Amino acid sequence: MKNAKNGILEIGKATPRADARGKVTGAEKYAADYYGDQLLWAGVKRAGIPHARIKGMELEGARNHPGVLAVLTCRDVRGSNRQGVIRQDQPVLVDDKVRHCGDAVALVVAEDRPALAKALDLIAVEYEPLPGVFDMETALKPGAVLVHEDNAEGNVLLKGELKTGRGEAALTECDVEVTAFFEVPRQEHAYLETEGGVALLREDGTLEIVVSTQTPFRDRAEVAKALGLDLEKIRILAPYCGGAFGGKDGITVQTLLGLAALHCPGRPIKMQWRREESFLAGVKRHHGRLHYRLGAKADGTLHALDAEIYYDTGPYDHLGGAVLALGLEHAGGPYRIPHTRLRGWSVYTNNPLGGAFRGFGVPQVAAAMEQMMDMAAARLGVSPLEMRLKNAVRRGDKNPVGVTLTSSTGVHECLALLAGQELWQERETWKAAARSFRLRGVGLACVMHGMGYGPLVPDCGNAKIEITEQGVFRIFSGVVDMGQGNAATYLQIAGSILNQDGDHLELVQPDTGKALPSGSASASRTTYTFGNALIGAALALKERIVRRAAALVENSGGGEDFTMAPGALVHRPTGQLIPLPQVARILDEAERISVFTFQAPVAAERPTADQNLQLHGIPHRIFSYGAHLACVEIDELTGKVEVKHYCAVSDCGSIINPQIVEQQIQGGIAQGLGYALSEDFIVENGRMATPDLSAYIIPTAMDIPDLGTFAVELPEETGPFGLKGAGEISMDGPLPALANAVADACGVRLFRYPLTAERVLQALAEKRGEGTGP
Amino acid sequence: MSHVFLPPDLDRLWNILEENPGALLYAGGTDLLVRLRQNPLKPPSLVCLERIEELHGVRERGEEVFIGACATHTGLLADAIIRDNFPVLVKGLACLGSPPIRNMGTIGGNICTASPAGDALPPLYTLDAGLEIRSRNSSRRMALTDFILGPGKTSLQQGEILAGVWLNRHPPFAIHHFEKVGQRNALAISLVSLAALLTVSAPGIIERVRLAWGSVAPTVATSAAVEAMLTGRPLSRETMDSAIPLIGDAISPISDTRATARYRRTVAGNLLLRLIEVDRRCK
Repeated sequence: MKNAKNGILEIGKATPRADARGKVTGAEKYAADYYGDQLLWAGVKRAGIPHARIKGMELEGARNHPGVLAVLTCRDVRGSNRQGVIRQDQPVLVDDKVRHCGDAVALVVAEDRPALAKALDLIAVEYEPLPGVFDMETALKPGAVLVHEDNAEGNVLLKGELKTGRGEAALTECDVEVTAFFEVPRQEHAYLETEGGVALLREDGTLEIVVSTQTPFRDRAEVAKALGLDLEKIRILAPYCGGAFGGKDGITVQTLLGLAALHCPGRPIKMQWRREESFLAGVKRHHGRLHYRLGAKADGTLHALDAEIYYDTGPYDHLGGAVLALGLEHAGGPYRIPHTRLRGWSVYTNNPLGGAFRGFGVPQVAAAMEQMMDMAAARLGVSPLEMRLKNAVRRGDKNPVGVTLTSSTGVHECLALLAGQELWQERETWKAAARSFRLRGVGLACVMHGMGYGPLVPDCGNAKIEITEQGVFRIFSGVVDMGQGNAATYLQIAGSILNQDGDHLELVQPDTGKALPSGSASASRTTYTFGNALIGAALALKERIVRRAAALVENSGGGEDFTMAPGALVHRPTGQLIPLPQVARILDEAERISVFTFQAPVAAERPTADQNLQLHGIPHRIFSYGAHLACVEIDELTGKVEVKHYCAVSDCGSIINPQIVEQQIQGGIAQGLGYALSEDFIVENGRMATPDLSAYIIPTAMDIPDLGTFAVELPEETGPFGLKGAGEISMDGPLPALANAVADACGVRLFRYPLTAERVLQALAEKRGEGTGP
Repeated sequence: MSHVFLPPDLDRLWNILEENPGALLYAGGTDLLVRLRQNPLKPPSLVCLERIEELHGVRERGEEVFIGACATHTGLLADAIIRDNFPVLVKGLACLGSPPIRNMGTIGGNICTASPAGDALPPLYTLDAGLEIRSRNSSRRMALTDFILGPGKTSLQQGEILAGVWLNRHPPFAIHHFEKVGQRNALAISLVSLAALLTVSAPGIIERVRLAWGSVAPTVATSAAVEAMLTGRPLSRETMDSAIPLIGDAISPISDTRATARYRRTVAGNLLLRLIEVDRRCK
């Protein structure tokens, strides 16, 4: 990939992202764009029933259908037939029983798509339906139907408790206590590019899979184990994703494609889920039920918090434990609360699969905590802003799980900048200007978001950069770019260090055959971890090049006399220009490559002795922060909520490319506004009631106002050029900011989301003590 | 084996329809092609009408205006005759689907799909639209209200097509109002909609009124009782409050994942209150 010529790539300079041109012109290939000669198509027979034993399968009709090459079941899987990141409990193809409607029961490979569709239709499965468990309360009752009979904890995937100070007992010491129960919906990722890829088993036995994934290196290990293959024989290539947001953090099509390829060697096999299949089988943001009790002293100081959090993880551990753990760690928000008891349950059900989604358990708790702050502020008679300023953490404070914040902590700076905005200063004037049948309100939310994997799982980046014989610097990216712009940022980092323009920089997308393992594109870590590694690799290569160039110039005076320029080295005393290809040619092949490992630092304290919670990520050391402000107008006749203005201030450390950070923050807000207003993946008895994009309502450009985004740019000392994660934080703010704004407008608070027109109209009617009419 | 036919004129069309009795007609395909996606195993033959010149365009004929069935929503939104005479239709079409759907979708398609949520329909009901139905050997006119029988059901017979829409050129109303309540601001299916034509005298008395609601009954709903109640009375909160209870007899909304019947019922009434505000803004 060549970058458009735009001069030297510098840190801090707003630059159009290097991938933009290729993407908008269609030149850049996503996994969905890969085909191959003599292509075969693979597809999955989905269960369509939430909980059942398979009594028999009629496969002959499909096998005998013209154009069908293979019809495969669990019997054809030689490995563990299990996938999953922490607990491997999801079958590639169902063996013992079906646990949700999206389960894969058979795999078909055919010459073309019509034959594939026909063969899938010809497969008849005989089920013995089992009673299902479709809500968390039922799932946790003694004697409940079990999703996994072999799980020692029944229907609990993970439970955790964190306690500081005197915990919930300290609530009795508070002057005010507010209590509430919140229910947040499932959210669908709805990426443009659905799950898909192409696999090929080569003659030498190498299994090659090009796939839309966030995790090529982890996929390789999962495919090897599930299918019983040698890891070294698997190569995963990960082009830019057409969106992922966590939904491709782990296996989607990889094991199925691998299995298909093993049975049809020598021919490329493609699988691309239809939108309906993506809805059915893909993971969702966890539906959450949250019970909160928050206590404060009369002067507004927060004193105690008791939170009980339930996340419906569906039938498998698709990072559901880790999602709960991050939720627990963030349950108290960015505040000093000396006494807390935070308890959580990640619960197995026969509902659609819960999993990773931008925010990773935090949007749910932020929705609850930020409304508790407003409720407490109202009881105390102080403004929501004062309440937050009084309690927001500063560097050196302990957070609500009792861990000292040793890194940059900019929540006060965010709030201060927000408080100076006209939208906040003039809010009463703006609210008073509402037309007839309209109510206006303004709401705040304060958020924090931890970065990286936590204390036990090493968060490592292994950068590799090469100077080619043509004098071009080639970066082997180890972390997928799913749209967030980390690839372009890597180019900017290397360009800045090596003083190169886009014409002398290339980036190779993650390829387990070429790049070094560098972890997942997730956890707001991609630029922090790999960027730090890349700095080390680029500096080392620069030093080597300069040192060797010095040998080419007589009386050069050593490396200090050289400066790098695009495509060349300049010997400053003489002005002599040495083209980079000339230097590259005198380097040995191995010398042209530089690698560097960076491992992210972890918190020194452990808020829990529970090794399992630590494994699931508690605690984090570095957090990003944000303060959000929403101005809404409600139509009293319809209940419709319109977001008129929105503004977010973020502390994501220093900024390498302001354009990319703004895109990340705005994208997260848009996704968060959808979560707040209209997105509700409705499930009835394990079956989806919103099966496609006509029923599941994501926002359009017409629903999102202009978004004001500001940064406070406090440098994070350990970050590459001072940055911290920016990928997820803005997803956490919109729901509570909007809910607080709606409460401000209506004088009544809603506790179930999204904030649909119907719910708002109902709340207004109940407030007036009547059934209908404004 | 299924086919897609693209007849260039009506003569060719009649032949195709005779030879392929099960074929489905479409123009923009914005509804039909989405529905066909549900059953890819048995695709029917399709006949696309969009290349037939006679079915396009907007023409003035004396005191009437003819709109070809294949006129796209985008085309109508830009048409001077439509903009000058039928603002209520313009307002309905402006919030139909999204720009790509308005570019592809046609007024004839919106009528023949016969969805109670079709956004062109409530405006056309208030405008007393007439339809021109043609077959090889005949051409007849019928009222839109008689043409649409229920969700997805019309009185179109085998071998017939909807050729176009006839509207009276100068609808005698000063205020053209359309409001749609959807789950979002674009690409939304109406939960409730209201088209209203009003003439209000200087002292604020409703002289004439036509109303039509979308998405609250198997077809677009109208109410002579509400219109009679409003006529001759002041355009006020009090008048509207007395008319709202009468709407209940004209509508029979359903509950689905988008909204409950109760919500649709409430909002169908509340939307009348907006007319007070609309009249104020017109002054």
